[in-house]
Amino acid sequence: MNHAMVQRLIYKDWYFNRFAITAYVAAGLLSLVALALGGEAGFYAGSILLITVLVAVGAHMAMIAVTERRDQTLAFVMTLPISTLEYTTAKIVGNLMIFFAAWTTLLVGTVAVIAGRQALPDGLIPFAIVVLFQLFAGYCLMLSVALVSESQGWTIGALVLGNLLLNGVIFAVSNAPGVGANMKSDSIVWSQPIVGVLWAEVAAILFLLGLTFYLQTRKTDFL
Amino acid sequence: MTDLAVHFEGVGKKYRHFTLDDIHLELPTGSIMGFIGPNGAGKSTTIRILMGLVHQDRGSVRVLGHAMPKDQALAKQQIGFVSEDLRLYKTATLAWHMGFIRSIYPTWDQAYAEQLLRRFDLKAEQRIKGISHGQRVKAALLLVLARRPRLLVLDEPTTGLDPVARQEVLGELMEVLADDERTILFSSHNTLDVEQISDQITFIDQGRIIDTGDKEGFLDRWRRIRLDVPAEVAPPVLPGVMKAGGSGRLPVVTTNRFEPAMAAAYQHAGVTVLAVEPMTLEEIFVANVHWRREGGIS
Repeated sequence: MNHAMVQRLIYKDWYFNRFAITAYVAAGLLSLVALALGGEAGFYAGSILLITVLVAVGAHMAMIAVTERRDQTLAFVMTLPISTLEYTTAKIVGNLMIFFAAWTTLLVGTVAVIAGRQALPDGLIPFAIVVLFQLFAGYCLMLSVALVSESQGWTIGALVLGNLLLNGVIFAVSNAPGVGANMKSDSIVWSQPIVGVLWAEVAAILFLLGLTFYLQTRKTDFL
Repeated sequence: MTDLAVHFEGVGKKYRHFTLDDIHLELPTGSIMGFIGPNGAGKSTTIRILMGLVHQDRGSVRVLGHAMPKDQALAKQQIGFVSEDLRLYKTATLAWHMGFIRSIYPTWDQAYAEQLLRRFDLKAEQRIKGISHGQRVKAALLLVLARRPRLLVLDEPTTGLDPVARQEVLGELMEVLADDERTILFSSHNTLDVEQISDQITFIDQGRIIDTGDKEGFLDRWRRIRLDVPAEVAPPVLPGVMKAGGSGRLPVVTTNRFEPAMAAAYQHAGVTVLAVEPMTLEEIFVANVHWRREGGIS
């Protein structure tokens, strides 16, 4: 593996998306401010903005893989001295780093806001973590589909599916036995449904990333 | 044994509506091959396989001694590729692209890059989206030439260029050819461009290579012979005659194996040879394609 080449490709993606990344981080921080300072309205507005920012940053980064083929810059990249595996590694790692930076900031911020605000019960923390991991899994699904299919249509389909799954998880977890009551308590409770869903989300993330590497290495056409 | 920069052996690639079939291609180091074919003949697919961008279904490909697509990363260190299908990042400047390429290739020659900037009348600080198609092609060529690659692969680089830009691009390529170690594969459907710079010619049509050889050989072997055949004389059927056209008394025959003895044979049979005309590469290409499509075999 030519690590120097992979690093250059990652740097290139970061360079071309530096303004968008800054804007997403700013919007994410704004959502945390709303969560921290606002009343009930601020809490809901902050939550919605937070989820929207994460979906948007994920969709934006995934679409870069699609637009590279559409804009015919993929041909430029693939004529550089790289292998298929190095290109895939650069794309996945570069994308993950950008999403992960925003996601981690928001994860830490969300936990800190919930823990720090008296009005918000600490019991919300496990639920918030499940939602954030589901957003991460949805992003991985989108990235995987974008890289493998290089199709805008399929990627939008993955975005829709990811959002439907997110809503399904929110509904299922909040209505699971005992979880609703735990969310309103002042103590953090890692109930069985919460832990089970979290493991499933982590497994889905690892599976999607592994599958993407596998399918990319079997790809025979890059133009 | 000749040192081959490119060696295709029995290469095939099947798509739903197109098949590249049993491609054998040899490009000796230091030579310039014009790769000519009509649109959809398989030029770009062959070149993409050469670059490792498309993987062949069967057959072997070696480029600069490296097996493709397995060792493509190593091979591409020494290949410069310019294609109509390749675009630079439109939001970035040419200077950014130069810096990016320089960081990847240790062979980058900054002085030569700046010389090319002036010669091509390009501005390094200009964004790619603000420049014309001709300038984009020149920018791509600059990024490739300044790396001083051992093998240059040019897939229809002059398509869509105005006459001035085309001559500038071809002129620069001519200069590059001064380096004997440089090998070039130049694909085009514009035979005039290919004729100017190539010493080897390969024709491809409908996914198959239909003829290959050195350019002078093609130009020497192919002739159009204008005859005057009296009514009572049956013209002899000579080997190497591929096509007979024209009117009944004044037929025109095309041959790919011309020898002065052919004219003598016609005259001996009572046929007057009005003219023996050399053919341009374009005429040779068109005649070759039509002949093969009608089932002709060398």
